[in-house]
Amino acid sequence: MSCAFEEELTAYVDGELPSARRTEVEAHLGTCAECRSTETLLRHTLASLAALPEFKPSADTRRAVLAKVDALPLPLRERLKALLRPSVLMPSLGLAAVVGLAVVYTGSEPQGLDVTDAGALELAANLELVEDYDIVGLDSSEDLEVIEHLHELEVQ
Amino acid sequence: MPIVEPESDAQVMQRVAAGDRKAFALLFDRYHASVARFAFRFVGDAARAEELTQDIFVKLYRNAKAYKPTAQFKTFLFRVATNHCLNEVRRGEYRVTHTTTSPREEEGESGVEVAGPEGDRPDEAVAGRELERAVGEALQGMSERERAAFTMCRFEGMAYRDIAEALEASEAAVKSLIHRATLAVAKKIEELQAGTLPARSRA
Repeated sequence: MSCAFEEELTAYVDGELPSARRTEVEAHLGTCAECRSTETLLRHTLASLAALPEFKPSADTRRAVLAKVDALPLPLRERLKALLRPSVLMPSLGLAAVVGLAVVYTGSEPQGLDVTDAGALELAANLELVEDYDIVGLDSSEDLEVIEHLHELEVQ
Repeated sequence: MPIVEPESDAQVMQRVAAGDRKAFALLFDRYHASVARFAFRFVGDAARAEELTQDIFVKLYRNAKAYKPTAQFKTFLFRVATNHCLNEVRRGEYRVTHTTTSPREEEGESGVEVAGPEGDRPDEAVAGRELERAVGEALQGMSERERAAFTMCRFEGMAYRDIAEALEASEAAVKSLIHRATLAVAKKIEELQAGTLPARSRA
């Protein structure tokens, strides 16, 4: 097809032309049989596409996608927030006090703490640092290093 | 009673960016059908479309922080989807198979199906399959960018401006892509209706 208006016809049928150009194309269609034929073909094609069978996606995808997302590690900020929940933090602080007393009275290292308690203890001992993490909203290990040395910078 | 406006996509996406997985599930439910349809039209194979759809949503979750609420969410989603499909097809992991696989044949195997219209009659079902095949062949014969633009326009009803943003192209380029793609599909449908499309499943 050689007509200069031919390239515009799909956009015209789709209602995507600016009004001035639309008027020009309409005027042209009144005089060009070839473009009228193409316009008819395009409109017929769009009507045919509407008759395509409906595509039904798999119902299993939801479960698979949510499982993949659940398997991703939470951002550090979210992990710290979870540790800072009162239900985790308050018993940890209580435990820290008891452990501190035990160390004073017995003069020996406490035995039998499980991993969670040990993590919570460390958190309780470094609350100030954790607050810094939370304020900055860090995401990467580089950020972690900067925060760890923030207090040194302040001293200098 | 006051009517509660549903939370906008942009608001939900901001919650996703903060790691809210319930918000992500909500966006998945809103856009699963669109993304799956796009992937299916792009690769022409239901099982591969399923893999692509899963990857696209996981990518959306991982890149949620890149979303700016000033942009339309659907455009952002289709930019992620288009980039992923183009990259995967170029890497050769998802070969486009419109000529060798019709969606009906994938049924049962992959759990993805193409349903017939309501009140389906056998002759209508055959006509639907033949139309599906003709459109599939036309899609396979065009460039990847034409296919992506055509799919967003014809099956998702997206405006040229939004397609241009998703494809990172000018509106003029998108106009041209859609025009060429629509003419290619028109030609295949004409051949089908004139009875000149080479038959494979026709009997």
